[in-house]
Amino acid sequence: MKTIILGIGNPILGDDGVGVHVVNELKSKIKNPNVTIDEAITGGMNLLDLILGYDKAIIIDALKTDNGENGEVKRIPLSNFSAMHSCNPHDVSLMEAIEMAKKMGESRIPKEIIIIGVMMRKIPCEFGEELSKDIAIAVPKAIDMTLNEIKNDMKISS
Amino acid sequence: MKTITIDPITRLEGHGKISIFLDNKGDVDNAYLQIPELRGFERFSQGRRAEDMPQITSRICGVCPVAHHFASTKALDAAFNVDPPSAAKKLRELMYMGYYIYDHTLHFYYLGGPDFVVGPDAPAAKRNVLGVIEKAGVEIGKEVIKHRAYGQKITAILGGKATHPVCGLPGGVSKGLNKEEVKEIDKMVKSCIEFAKFSLKLFDDIVLKNKNYVDIILSDPYQLATYNMGLVDKNNKVNFYDGKIRVTDQKGKEHVKFDVKDYYKNIVEHVEEWTYIKFPYLKDIGWKGFKDGKDSGIYRVGPLGRLNAAEGMATPLADKEYKRFYETLGGKSVNSTLAFHWARLIELLYATERAQELIKDPEITSQKIRNPVGEPGEGMGVTEAARGTLIHHYKLDKNGLIDKANLIVATTNNSGAINMSIRDAAKGVIKKGKVDDGKLNLIEMAFRAYDPCFACATHTLPGGLPLEVNIYDHNKKLYKKLKQNL
Repeated sequence: MKTIILGIGNPILGDDGVGVHVVNELKSKIKNPNVTIDEAITGGMNLLDLILGYDKAIIIDALKTDNGENGEVKRIPLSNFSAMHSCNPHDVSLMEAIEMAKKMGESRIPKEIIIIGVMMRKIPCEFGEELSKDIAIAVPKAIDMTLNEIKNDMKISS
Repeated sequence: MKTITIDPITRLEGHGKISIFLDNKGDVDNAYLQIPELRGFERFSQGRRAEDMPQITSRICGVCPVAHHFASTKALDAAFNVDPPSAAKKLRELMYMGYYIYDHTLHFYYLGGPDFVVGPDAPAAKRNVLGVIEKAGVEIGKEVIKHRAYGQKITAILGGKATHPVCGLPGGVSKGLNKEEVKEIDKMVKSCIEFAKFSLKLFDDIVLKNKNYVDIILSDPYQLATYNMGLVDKNNKVNFYDGKIRVTDQKGKEHVKFDVKDYYKNIVEHVEEWTYIKFPYLKDIGWKGFKDGKDSGIYRVGPLGRLNAAEGMATPLADKEYKRFYETLGGKSVNSTLAFHWARLIELLYATERAQELIKDPEITSQKIRNPVGEPGEGMGVTEAARGTLIHHYKLDKNGLIDKANLIVATTNNSGAINMSIRDAAKGVIKKGKVDDGKLNLIEMAFRAYDPCFACATHTLPGGLPLEVNIYDHNKKLYKKLKQNL
């Protein structure tokens, strides 16, 4: 089973880059040749291109929450998201990109796509490379959750 | 007074919001677009190594990394007082064409096109690329995916990595092309030319042959007679990568043409208290509020701005389309905001033809791709991002570190015009407080045409929240709530 772990976010936009911080630390913790670890500052179509051909994709990203707690980490299968409207006016959402690819007969879409979401009340609009205190605490939690995900997969496949 | 708010952005709540104010009769009094301005770039840049700027700035925006990468690299050419070898310029420009191919394709088929192909008043759930495929056929969908990917591939071959290029260096590029790569690109480009021709034909069949659509395009709420701005070559033809900045008036006559190093002599930024976004205008004309016409310094950039600011396209097929564009829409300048879509497809054709010229140029495999840099100083660089003129300006200290940095991005250049387009569209479609989804989409279309880039929306999860409309009464109490895509 081939898995890709992708950290999404803008590393120069403070907390927005939390996904990238997480995968940077994961690189030294995972030495499995069947697991690819990468980062991306992109969404929609480009994101789909990056995960094609893998059996499973684990995407670590910041998620905006209105009621949740800052820095809380949640595991959410992509299938739980239903919206088709992209947040980026110049790109489509990953769901829309996947629907489109399915319709075109694309056979390389991962069977399972899991989002490890770091909840945040506010997505920053100020340049910086540091994470805020609340969000920095979430990094080890997101790492553990990702490692567990990989461990469980290995158990199942063995 | 009632307030209607359209909030088309999802994750970044409160960002990218359209507010429409109604008068007592329920007609539109005024409308505003608020988009977020990323803050603190100058402080962030200070003290960094200048040669890191092309990589850093390509991360500002997940949408147009290539445009920032080269505006930055060109600013460094100027700051280090070095002129890159001709082969390096051609390699940069070729990569830039790859960027235009995927970017313009994405916009037409996925973002702007659905309004026309599926219909402006179709249900929101159908008004997306899947709706386009349903109407146009799966085979066309495959072509769209294929050619968007070709654009990406061309960019990746030249740039190292498609999403954040690493090839631009002051004085040149870090990587040339070998013969196999040339062969591969040549093949893709050939196919892209056919795809661009097909896309224009599709626009012809679906939009221009439909009287209703043409009427919408030419209708009053979508007209805006501003100045226009874009880069041109020495023959005043559209150029994406290099040239002088040309501004034309409402009749298409040249108003001013200047080198990027003189941008601050020609462009000034106006500030409004309700938004962080600045409103650039022509200094000699002046700021007269949100008005069009020759007495107001507001100008437009992007595909329509570029076509209006030039006298033609530098490649044969695109130039033919350029002439047809003006013949069909009543001569210069074309002031219809919705004509941006057609202009974008003409530019797509130009990008593919220009890519073919460049890939067939024997110099493209030259290994002389970098010149030695001079002493660090001050420099400005300009490119045409897909959505308009983009300027980077750096001041370096004697050690080559950034002392000052300023950017004027495309959507900022268009900010005055976008606001007016939204206001005029709202005035045209909302009467006596009657609002529905179809009407809201007619307003959204007015700003979608510009392909505005809200810089901080770099990625897309959960891609969730839909279009939301809030109508408040004069006590600011929620009076009515409309939602799309829920």
